[in-house]
Amino acid sequence: MAVKHVLIIEDDQWFLALVKKTLEREKFAVATASNTIEGMAAINKRVPDVIVLDFFMPGPNALVLLHELQSYGDTAKVPIILCTNNASDIPSESIRSYGVASILDKTTMHPDDIAAAVRRVL
Amino acid sequence: MEGSRQQTNRLEGAVPTAPSFVAAAHELKSPLALVRQLALHLESGEVKGKELQEVAHRITLTSERALRLTTDITKSSRLEDSLFSLEPLNPIVLCQEVVDEMKPLYAAHGRTIVLTSRARSLLALANRDLLRRILLNFADNALHYSGEGPVTITASLRDGGSCIRLGVRDYGPALPSTMRKNVGQKSAHVHSRPESSGLGVYIARQFADAMHATIGTTSHRDGATFYVDIGTSSQLRLL
Repeated sequence: MAVKHVLIIEDDQWFLALVKKTLEREKFAVATASNTIEGMAAINKRVPDVIVLDFFMPGPNALVLLHELQSYGDTAKVPIILCTNNASDIPSESIRSYGVASILDKTTMHPDDIAAAVRRVL
Repeated sequence: MEGSRQQTNRLEGAVPTAPSFVAAAHELKSPLALVRQLALHLESGEVKGKELQEVAHRITLTSERALRLTTDITKSSRLEDSLFSLEPLNPIVLCQEVVDEMKPLYAAHGRTIVLTSRARSLLALANRDLLRRILLNFADNALHYSGEGPVTITASLRDGGSCIRLGVRDYGPALPSTMRKNVGQKSAHVHSRPESSGLGVYIARQFADAMHATIGTTSHRDGATFYVDIGTSSQLRLL
């Protein structure tokens, strides 16, 4: 089976390292970006199968990226996993129209939840 | 200065409305959630040797960050009941102490923080603890909300030597103009950076007000400087 590519966009480098390690252990190919601008550059280089996205980051926040992804045919269908400390503040129904397939709460999730979520949305 | 497009906002005027408990909870969530994730990683039993030490060190540093914030919140809430003595102090020495205190956290993130000063023989009139906390607050924010470049603490004389400006300069995304306006407003939602609750700036301004200092921000094309302006000690003239 072809290796699935996951892009993690997360400004906290230590949390990013944890997620990357977990996904690589589960045999996913992982690319990383520390803000939405770097994330767009990574997507331009290669459209991933799944994007794991933090919400608040330096520079434009996740909503800006979600709008941008919805503007292009090749990126509009990429499932997004929103992984944030503010999951309880995000209206899950309205954000799903932006391609968000799953929302993970960093304050309650287990590290392995990220791999399960990626498998679920693929 | 440095060929940057600059826009400066001094934070003066009426006492701001206190941010809500929600803002405090929001700011604390981030380090606490990270501590929990790192601890769960340790619990998994997969982490050995050098990596184990590294994860433990990250837990320590992140806990210290959360504790700094809780101490600042507590101190901020008691400012009205307290008197803070002002003393002549060498701000360069204080800045160096802040750099030394933040160095381990910066190093663990692969970043650097340095002190550069063009001013010599400075003597400020300030409360040592409050000034230190303002600078730690700015340095902490610069680490977490700016790009990957170095962070520089600077000290300079202003207004013909009657004022000393201590600034924390970072290199990252510039503050949007709407945010610069917000920093200058005395509202409940004082945003230091777009992704921040503004609690850090609120607390820093409380501390500055308590010792008759002012804080502000200068936006550059490639980052921002958060600064505190403090008066010089009259003893300076005796040197």
